[in-house]
Amino acid sequence: MKLSISRYNPEHDEQPYLQHYEIDLVASDHMLLDVLLRLKQQDNTLSFRRSCREGVCGSDAMNINGRNGLACITRTSALREPVVIRPLPGFPIIRDLFVDMTQFFKQYESITPYLVNDDSPPEKERLQTPAERDKLNGAYECILCACCSSQCPSYWWNPDKFVGPAGLIQAYRFIFDSRDRATAQRLDDLGGDPYRLFRCRTIMNCAEVCPKGLEPVRAIEAIRLKIAQVPVHPGGLDMHPPKSPT
Amino acid sequence: MRPRLTGLAAWWVQRASAVCMLLFIIFALAAFALYPRHSYLEWRSWAGSPGVALAILAFFAALLLHMWVGLRDVLLDYAKPAGLRRLLLGGVAGALFGIAVWVVLILARLQT
Repeated sequence: MKLSISRYNPEHDEQPYLQHYEIDLVASDHMLLDVLLRLKQQDNTLSFRRSCREGVCGSDAMNINGRNGLACITRTSALREPVVIRPLPGFPIIRDLFVDMTQFFKQYESITPYLVNDDSPPEKERLQTPAERDKLNGAYECILCACCSSQCPSYWWNPDKFVGPAGLIQAYRFIFDSRDRATAQRLDDLGGDPYRLFRCRTIMNCAEVCPKGLEPVRAIEAIRLKIAQVPVHPGGLDMHPPKSPT
Repeated sequence: MRPRLTGLAAWWVQRASAVCMLLFIIFALAAFALYPRHSYLEWRSWAGSPGVALAILAFFAALLLHMWVGLRDVLLDYAKPAGLRRLLLGGVAGALFGIAVWVVLILARLQT
């Protein structure tokens, strides 16, 4: 398999460049991450994040043949060669495929990503009806891999002001949670600013590249409708079969 | 600089203006299909009738508001230096205002 991988060492390089590799595939090279891990055995300077290797942790998000995805669930057999691998677009590069996700997590933190409920705690747990729980479908599955925010032009232009699709699908998850008591403050925070929510232009790259098949754009629209006091579809967010890079 | 028509207000204006424009386009297409007008005088008489002139005015008001929200969004994304942004926003506002005045003048002339 032929690969062209973006390399950048801030101590030596002025800007990133593509390094070409060629490696013979073996029977166990099912996913792109398998190939990258074997490449790293040959060239231990090659740097990239990875952890769970099964599409749960979101660490190995990268741009593969022009499309963001997770290397661990991208099948080698489906990839065009040479496979061009770059770091997530729009994020500052630290080294090779490592990107600085500080701004991304600042935006995530800004939506208060936890339940706010000062009611006295029940004896066991705060219960929900099945219908209330269904509202969280299509949002709670987000693994914060940043594939969506990194492929969103609105986030590229205003990463410091626009929360981005990943942060907003998390905001949806708490706004529509029946156990949360801070809905009004959450809506004021997002709706009272021209950038945080309303910079979304419904480009829909977020839904296109999400490796879990989520649709953050629907969450953004649901939050806007909630602010405008228009009834929202009660059954959670739409999902679709995820597409991998090819 | 904090633009005035932003956030939820801009979102509503964009959707409401789109609905207004769609209604006018359906009305105009239906009018052309049901009652074809073949001469300039027939066109002029149609566009100059008070109800149609009012509808045309509403269409252009919706169109210009829609354009303002859309173009302003593009400039907020791409024109980062405050001075350049003000200049471009001023240019767009001036051009849209000019078009609005022109539409009003044309419709007023049709009434005479």
